[in-house]
Amino acid sequence: MTDAAIKAPAASRQWDRERLAALAFTTPALAVLIVFFAIPLALLFAGSFTGPNGLSLAAYERLLGTRYYLWTIWNSLRLALFTTFFALLIGYPASFALARARGVLRSALLATLFLPLAASVIVKAFAWTILLRTDGIVNRILVGLHIVSTPIRMIFTETALIVGAVNIFLPFMILPIYAVVAQLDRRLPEAAATLGASPVTAFLKVTLPMTMQGIIAGVALVFSLSVSAYVVPTLLIGERYPTLAQTIAKAFLLAQEPAFGAAAGVALLVIAFATVTISSRLSRAAGTK
Amino acid sequence: MNAAPSSSPHLAVRQVAKRYGAATVLDGIDLIIARGELVTLLGPSGCGKTTLLRIVAGLVNPDGGSIELAGRNVTNVPPHKRRVGVVFQSYALFPHLTVAGNVAFGLKLQKLPRDVIEEKVARALSLVQLGHLGSRLITALSGGQQQRVALARALAVEPEVMLFDEALSALDRKLREDMQGELRRLLTDIGATAIFVTHDQDEALTMSDRIAVMNKGRIEQLADPVTVYSRPASLFALSFVGLSTQIPGTVSEASGGTVKVDTEAGPMIANGHFAVGSPVIVGVRPEHVRPKNLNPSNDTDNAITGQVRTTTFHGSRVRLDVMAKRILVSAELSNLNTALPQVGETITLSWPAAETFAYPAPPTTATGAAS
Repeated sequence: MTDAAIKAPAASRQWDRERLAALAFTTPALAVLIVFFAIPLALLFAGSFTGPNGLSLAAYERLLGTRYYLWTIWNSLRLALFTTFFALLIGYPASFALARARGVLRSALLATLFLPLAASVIVKAFAWTILLRTDGIVNRILVGLHIVSTPIRMIFTETALIVGAVNIFLPFMILPIYAVVAQLDRRLPEAAATLGASPVTAFLKVTLPMTMQGIIAGVALVFSLSVSAYVVPTLLIGERYPTLAQTIAKAFLLAQEPAFGAAAGVALLVIAFATVTISSRLSRAAGTK
Repeated sequence: MNAAPSSSPHLAVRQVAKRYGAATVLDGIDLIIARGELVTLLGPSGCGKTTLLRIVAGLVNPDGGSIELAGRNVTNVPPHKRRVGVVFQSYALFPHLTVAGNVAFGLKLQKLPRDVIEEKVARALSLVQLGHLGSRLITALSGGQQQRVALARALAVEPEVMLFDEALSALDRKLREDMQGELRRLLTDIGATAIFVTHDQDEALTMSDRIAVMNKGRIEQLADPVTVYSRPASLFALSFVGLSTQIPGTVSEASGGTVKVDTEAGPMIANGHFAVGSPVIVGVRPEHVRPKNLNPSNDTDNAITGQVRTTTFHGSRVRLDVMAKRILVSAELSNLNTALPQVGETITLSWPAAETFAYPAPPTTATGAAS
């Protein structure tokens, strides 16, 4: 956006008016973001560098120098990687099904996908704990069908965590991919076929590169949502799998260590920022290739 | 590859049928095309022409019948093994590739050496006069240029047959007319065999060696453009290609391919084989209809007298619409030396029986005319 503004001919009065209008429209949002996001963020950032005797790197030394906290960072990344991977695996074909469906089927699919967004993440995570507990419906079905003889432990396992996280974050993978797939000219794979491309080649050389921007957007969204997830790991796995988000909450709410919590928050912010930067770079590369 | 059109079948479509649910889209289509021939499938939307083209390309599977291409039965061969080139209405260019990247797409799949690919891309692009735009992005091209890239991309792999699905319809009129001539020259020069799908009769008449007039999943007439225009095989062909006057009536006399038809505007002599009493439609092209005093020949078999309704100036010609009873007859005059009749004036129009054709009346029209 800034690039375009710089390149625009300065003499163009039309453009100036458009730029003014754009500025006027963005000002309210900008003001809200500055007051409620940028300033608190700056305070948090400053706070992470304070110790008992003023300026200090102690919080970062503790975060990055303790095995336990490195493990929580790794847990967060691991949760995000698995969730993103499975969400992509399920969401990519689902986006095509959604884009190709017509009539009632399409409405039904869209409702199935987007209605759960109206429910709170706490409700959904809690629902999974009910489904997956030892005397829950999943275990009863498995036992009833004689697939297993005794209920298996599902809740408070990493599998339960990933299943729940994928379920909850899936719409954020499907939405951006669906947006791209719905715009795709169905003649493109056909054109590739008539030029000698087998269905697999046509997918790899045409469909995949053309949907790459949607994939990147979906991956970035789901990754940044799941790396910072708090409710989902707390309810579905708990203490056995501490994540960065839980560390932050504990530092502020229980341990009363705001500097340490701020440092953990900055670490999470760095991960999120890196995700956004890398994905927008990749997206631009995919767009101009 | 400068092969002249020969009679050996290059593409043979035999008894091809396609149904979607209860709707029959194609009903036993036969179409034999010689190498180097340019054939147009002409018809209104929904007549099955695009489905037929897609069946030839392998993008749609027929329910019955067979397709032979270059001596090979390709009925069950997937599109990527058929060696067909398709130019789509939307062009279907790959927006993530450059112009040269698009043209090279098929060649790269053939695993040709890099220098051969480069040479073939350059040749294909120069063929469509885009040699200088190879490194451009597709999105930076005009519609006409995109059309040429789509053509170059399809030609580059040297397909056995080129298929054009309403390929020129997205261009504006002037550009389309230029492209028609250029495309025909180019395809003839390289000896390509091609099928065009269009609903544009001008495109069909100018581009093709033969036209297949399609209606409701059938080919109603398959002939060269002159025959299709001047000897329409059916009422549909008469109506769909060019202008015509159509007069309903009943056969009163019949002998040796000529019938006499009683119409509201008097008796007419027409070509056609019918039994006496058959309800028919008599048709004639406007350029054969003349005001009686202007008629160059004495052949004035058919004539009607009526009032001039409108005169329309079209530059090189003038159209005259004359109302006789409840029948509107159109005449097209190119001779501007004589003063035109005035609107409201009563005149007599006449035309030769040799240019008059009788067709079976469709059931609804027959009852309408009787009332």
